[in-house]
Amino acid sequence: MNATPTLLELQHALRRALLEGGETAACAEVVADGIEPAQRLAVYRNGYASRLSAALRLCYPAVQRLVGEEFFDGAARVFAFERPPRAAWLDEYGAEFADFLAGFPPAASLAYLPDVARLEWAVNRALHAPEAEPLDVGRLLELNEVQRASVRFAPHPALGLLRTDCPADEIWRAVLARDDAALGAIDPAAGPAWLLVERRDGDASVSRMSEPAWRFAFELCAGRPLHEVLDAACGIEAHSLLAQHFTAGRFVAFTIEDKKVATETSP
Amino acid sequence: MPRPAAAPPGRGPIPAHAGIGLRFRHHREVLESRPRIAWLEVHTENYMGGGAAPACLEALRRDYPVSLHGVGLSLGSAGGLDSIHLERVRRAVERFEPGLVSEHLSWSVAGGIYLADLLPLPLTEEALELVCRHVDQVQDVLARPILVENPSTYLQFRHSTIPEWEFLAALARRSGCGILCDVNNIYVSACNHGWDASAYLAALPATAIGEIHLAGHSVRTLEAGRRLRIDDHGSPVAPEVWALFREALERFGPVPTLIEWDTDVPPLEVLLEEAARAAVLLEELERSERYADAA
Repeated sequence: MNATPTLLELQHALRRALLEGGETAACAEVVADGIEPAQRLAVYRNGYASRLSAALRLCYPAVQRLVGEEFFDGAARVFAFERPPRAAWLDEYGAEFADFLAGFPPAASLAYLPDVARLEWAVNRALHAPEAEPLDVGRLLELNEVQRASVRFAPHPALGLLRTDCPADEIWRAVLARDDAALGAIDPAAGPAWLLVERRDGDASVSRMSEPAWRFAFELCAGRPLHEVLDAACGIEAHSLLAQHFTAGRFVAFTIEDKKVATETSP
Repeated sequence: MPRPAAAPPGRGPIPAHAGIGLRFRHHREVLESRPRIAWLEVHTENYMGGGAAPACLEALRRDYPVSLHGVGLSLGSAGGLDSIHLERVRRAVERFEPGLVSEHLSWSVAGGIYLADLLPLPLTEEALELVCRHVDQVQDVLARPILVENPSTYLQFRHSTIPEWEFLAALARRSGCGILCDVNNIYVSACNHGWDASAYLAALPATAIGEIHLAGHSVRTLEAGRRLRIDDHGSPVAPEVWALFREALERFGPVPTLIEWDTDVPPLEVLLEEAARAAVLLEELERSERYADAA
């Protein structure tokens, strides 16, 4: 670094010092005054990791109980340094934690852990997603039949659909209820679960679906045109499922021929 | 239902009384018991989404004046303000209509990474100009003045040329922002860097002080017995900080004063007791001012 770094240079050097630690270029810019610059920077480095670990603990309470506080904090700190946040809104931080756990060797023996983490992330989104007005179904009735067939829906921002390899929902419930008997009775190899996560009265609700019903909801939420999703649906009461989705307010808008028709997310 | 004491109706400006920082663990209790407290402050970043927390604040702001205290705008980032984050702040201000909006004299973002801390700036002309520009930008977008809080710091940069108190005074003068005087932070930084805390207070422009923060800190012993005070908001306000608060009130007059507690958040009553202590000092000051006026 030059004799006097610009603010931009200094901030990049500090960022490296915080994320990488040790003796870094930033040390040369810090007044020692009886304490090694590296030690002063370590206070900030530790603060960074502790704060993000605390933020992740709020998102992933079941994962934390499954692995214990100390293990969780260790994993969270590694995650924080490997995948730092991109925005100051920490509600958005931690989406990749499940993928990280899947590749985190110390957690390799807990094959179900990444699935539980994915479910907790969906729960977290359900809890904190922005408010949105449910779709006014009356708007659909104003369309002609051709238009209606081409409708693509936009899902509520709190809605999540996930497929887990293990019964992650049962594990999650038992862990949060501290029900060791129930937890002991779960067979992690019992096969996949198709889950729908949404906000109900301010709380997160997790429900199981059959595979075809889940696929139907998934394709609708992915924005595929209604007629395609209906054609592909087999073995389910598609129209009655569609009605349930409307009643539950799972869609907030629709488009026809790429033209947005209804409501948008409120602030 | 009991109403908060001596507070104007919600949405009003923040009164020169004692308030508390509202944290998630107290949401339900505050909603149900409506404690006697003059005002509430929250971290803006915790109320940017939807769901139960913002709904709780919506309900409480009908009865309590509310202040939004941000930790993520990164006013000191050389890379510029994050316009998406500023828009989130604007929406929160629009939604909750706070009596005060505040941020920090610090930075948190570099190269698109959020460093989850209020990091110290080198106190230079370059930094002063940049922070002034960013405060202007924020005040333009929010269409209102903000308060900027002095940070607690654990290091100083070799090339700093402006004392922190002069930096803040110049920032307030040039940008028209107010100062959120965190008395605990002054004490922490003064101890860490060998500054004179009373002289720091004396150098701040009294008319720019819009709010005071009080909180606890801890002492960490490093190698060779050197100690650093760490602003962790995890304990009661220290006796030395109460003494400095008295001094601040004598200099600034009655100012909205907040008790903050963020680590190991205690039962609500503990926070209310700390606020009551601040309230006593504020009331003493008001009485003595009335007495002085009458004399």
